[in-house]
Amino acid sequence: MNRSSLRTSATAAAAAAVLALSACGGDSATGSSEGPDLSAPAEKSGTLTMVTKYADPQYAPYFEQVVAAYEDANPEVDIELEQVGDQPYKDKIRVLSASQDLPDIYFSWAGDFANKFIRAGLAADLTEVLGPDTEWGSTLTPAAVKTFEYEGKSYGVPINLDAKYLAYNTKLFDSAGVQVPGTQEELLTACDELKGAGIQPIALGNQFGWPAIHYITQLNAYNVDPETLAQDYAPSTGEFTDPGYVAALQQFADINEHCGNADANGLAHEVAQANFLAGDAAMQYVESVEFGVFTEAGGASPEIASSWDFFRLPAPADAQGDTEALTGAPDGFLVNAKSENAALAVDFLKFFSSQENAATMTEEIGWLSPVEGSATEQNSFPQLTRTLNDIGEASQFAVWLDTVTHAEVASAYLAGVEGMLGGNLTPEQVMESVQEAAAKAQQEVN
Amino acid sequence: MTATSRRWLSWAWVLPAVVLLLIFVYYPVVENIRLSFFSWNAFSPTPTFVGLANYREAAQDDIFWLALLNNTAYAITSLVFQVGFSLALAAVLEEFVGQRLRGVLRTIYFIPAAMSITVVGILFSFLYNPQFGLVNEALSAVGLDSLTRAWLGEENTAIWSVIAMSQWQSIGYTALLFVVAIQRIPREYYEAVHVDGAGPLRSFFTITVPMVREMTTLVVILTISGAFLVFNEVMVMTAGGPNNSSQVLGTWLYRQAFFEDDMGYAATVATVIFVITFAIAAVQLTVTRRRRFEA
Repeated sequence: MNRSSLRTSATAAAAAAVLALSACGGDSATGSSEGPDLSAPAEKSGTLTMVTKYADPQYAPYFEQVVAAYEDANPEVDIELEQVGDQPYKDKIRVLSASQDLPDIYFSWAGDFANKFIRAGLAADLTEVLGPDTEWGSTLTPAAVKTFEYEGKSYGVPINLDAKYLAYNTKLFDSAGVQVPGTQEELLTACDELKGAGIQPIALGNQFGWPAIHYITQLNAYNVDPETLAQDYAPSTGEFTDPGYVAALQQFADINEHCGNADANGLAHEVAQANFLAGDAAMQYVESVEFGVFTEAGGASPEIASSWDFFRLPAPADAQGDTEALTGAPDGFLVNAKSENAALAVDFLKFFSSQENAATMTEEIGWLSPVEGSATEQNSFPQLTRTLNDIGEASQFAVWLDTVTHAEVASAYLAGVEGMLGGNLTPEQVMESVQEAAAKAQQEVN
Repeated sequence: MTATSRRWLSWAWVLPAVVLLLIFVYYPVVENIRLSFFSWNAFSPTPTFVGLANYREAAQDDIFWLALLNNTAYAITSLVFQVGFSLALAAVLEEFVGQRLRGVLRTIYFIPAAMSITVVGILFSFLYNPQFGLVNEALSAVGLDSLTRAWLGEENTAIWSVIAMSQWQSIGYTALLFVVAIQRIPREYYEAVHVDGAGPLRSFFTITVPMVREMTTLVVILTISGAFLVFNEVMVMTAGGPNNSSQVLGTWLYRQAFFEDDMGYAATVATVIFVITFAIAAVQLTVTRRRRFEA
């Protein structure tokens, strides 16, 4: 046999078998009910391992800086910080998890991504130190702590706050004589007026599926009763039969028809953003962590930097769900339930979320922190402080649909909404495939 | 040194390579096949034996079949361009182009093959961009506005756009392999058919094609197995979307393993890829052996 062909064949199979090797790395996981000792260590010494998804050169130095500051304050402690990119993190953490080689502190998105670690007994129960009545817990925004709760217990330390808003160009709104819409119906009318004035209303780039899913996250929260929503988002009980889900998809289709651009599936979110930044589109649905790019410091032109604002995606007048819910979620850190240094890990995370560090984070990388009072006029820009107030007014976070639901359901939504946007699927067809995925997820979990 | 000790010594020399191969190639392959009979994920790493359930799931999975179809389309298109067209290109280069220009052209054709696939993927994403992409601009410039579209964003064009990029990248490489093979053909053969009155087309089919068949076999195998192993191009340009229309087996495996946490099913897809590429390699083995005997 030709050696190179054999080698390529073998390499293909080896791709998945990397996991086979890693699966042999340790004993099988057990959902241990006994938590590690989290009380403050008398003597701070030892080595902590930590993996984040913040390899982006914009964010990485901040994390390195905090780690260095903690090591300086505690010379006996050595923190091995490893930072990888957003996508590689998803692979890496799974391989580490399968090989029972999880670091002491690791990153997690809120929702089912975190819950998978919790269900497998891989995340330490932090309720005794992070609960709302504790010294540490009371310094953090309750809504943020709540997103990492599972069956009434706290498992994750929220590290930032992120929410989704329609950013808009005030000058383009003025020139078309358009007011900030209060309802979804008004949004559609505003879009028609903007189009009439020759302005592209909303820039949408949906190349990898998630931008549209963020709309659906918000619209599901508006259209489906919160209790039903919670039941459907839980993999063990999800059915997705409420008519509100179809209504949400239909509303997105309407918004896209009146406000969106053609070819959204072929455009990256960043390309759409460039259109907004160039003043070619009046609105874009963005995360508050992206607000920095609309400032001069973030590279925006003075015209844009001085003429943008934001509002929530408006709810339909006859909304059946929670109209005060806001799409977004904090990112967080989990502590390895089997860590021998869990107490030290908690101590580091307390240091990480000190008022001082949180304020520095907001100032240096423009992220809002769940540490109350960390964003001030001095260390942020006006839109960011108003975002913090608005998040405080939200009834709850509607966590990203593609991380809050089971991966099967998330996949069905991602693919289905792309198909709908391409004109190949109807809202009903999308929900049919979501329902099938939910049934499969139920089978898997129960 | 006796013959026996020489034999032992030769074994000692190859031992490190054999051990590495066993650990990093053969063991994962066997282990992967074993794991395809289990249901497991990264969060509950105790595999549960499910027999052929993963294979049954694959048989009923529309996207698995779509991915296989996309790989097949990839293979067939690659055969046409990277074997057929490349051979013609190599023959034209060797036959009709002057010495100096030939070198320049060979380099130009080869450059894409030396570029990182990720860079090329991103570059082509810009070319295919519906708003400012060169492809749509070029079509508009010649009055073909009706053909402009979001090449990577539409279900019926996404995979073909990726395949087209792949051809652009690989033609130069395979053409260069054919150039090397053509250069080894003795010139007397061409002179002989020329004396017999054969034109360039006739000499191409009667001399060039049969004389480069060893190389053709190699390129065919490389091309087909490459088409079934494709991953990076698709991942960078479409990640399998929109609506899974551009999934190939590699990306579907990745999605099952690292997004849907279905490691057992991912191992099954990997096994299918292995079987296909193994079969191709086996066919190659048989064909080349037979030819050697004939020769």
